[in-house]
Amino acid sequence: MKRLNMEFGVGLFVIAGILCLGYLSIKLGRMEIFGGRGYEIYAIFSNTGGIKTGSTVVLAGVEVGRVKSISLENYQAKITLLLQPEVKIQEDAIASIKTKGLVGEKYIEITPGGSNEFIPPGGRIRETQPPVDLEDLISKILFEKI
Amino acid sequence: MILIRLWILILLLFGMTTPLFSGEPQEQLQQTTDKVLAILSDPNLKSPEKTKERRELILRVVDERFDWEEMARRCLARHWVQRTPEEKREFIHLFKELLQQVYMDKVEGYSWNKIQYEGETIDGNYGTVKVKIFTPKEQPIHVEYRLLKKGPTWLVYDFSIEGVSLVNNYRTQFNEIIVKSSYRELVKRLKTKVSQP
Repeated sequence: MKRLNMEFGVGLFVIAGILCLGYLSIKLGRMEIFGGRGYEIYAIFSNTGGIKTGSTVVLAGVEVGRVKSISLENYQAKITLLLQPEVKIQEDAIASIKTKGLVGEKYIEITPGGSNEFIPPGGRIRETQPPVDLEDLISKILFEKI
Repeated sequence: MILIRLWILILLLFGMTTPLFSGEPQEQLQQTTDKVLAILSDPNLKSPEKTKERRELILRVVDERFDWEEMARRCLARHWVQRTPEEKREFIHLFKELLQQVYMDKVEGYSWNKIQYEGETIDGNYGTVKVKIFTPKEQPIHVEYRLLKKGPTWLVYDFSIEGVSLVNNYRTQFNEIIVKSSYRELVKRLKTKVSQP
């Protein structure tokens, strides 16, 4: 009887351990199993500049969402963003892909607009700005000099 | 030569009074660009003392294609709603002067001999036109115009050069100034910038 109790205890402990591990990997991996809180909008970019699923979306430097998925549509990148429900994005807002520092990770910045209309869930941010290709820019300046 | 100039003038007048344009964004943009090119290549307007006249002609052509109010509204973004009609009018005027000052030199500087239209996209009332402009050294510059359909005409409300949007750039700058100090300060700065030669 006593032995059974102990084995039962160990079993419980192991299960608890596995659950914790699962929770941690989901949290750290920024995975969403139940869809996550918030609503989705999408934007079409001519170039993603290496943005990844799970990259942050910021507004005035504050994180307001994440990149949910990236797919190819008509030879352009369609990026779906998952935004917090309380954050409303105006119809004339601009989404641009930026880099933290010179070589840091990529993120999406939203510059709020002044329109009275807001983008509904599933809607699209029309105005987008692809990342500035530094290499390209440098080569342009160099060649222009010659 | 006089004939060419007369023809341009007639074209200008005609374009202002009648809705001559009915095509799609690229076609309409091309018409405007061609008109500007005609003015720039007009030998009668090339001399330095004609600069003012030439610039006025160019401005008039550009005016038809650009929606200054929409541009100014988008640049001020959240702060636009708080402005009085009077302030809005003043701002649109200043904004126009600013763009004129910043871009007129560029328009006049480039030889513009080669412009490549790279297609348009239309989505409801919104359209984009991609253009490649070549510098005198054959270096391509990618420009993308964003247009909004108002009635039969497509009007430019934003353009990006090498992917950097004009509205986004000014929106960030204006917002910073207004948040840090005030709208008055922004107007003051714009005024000094515009009054500089």
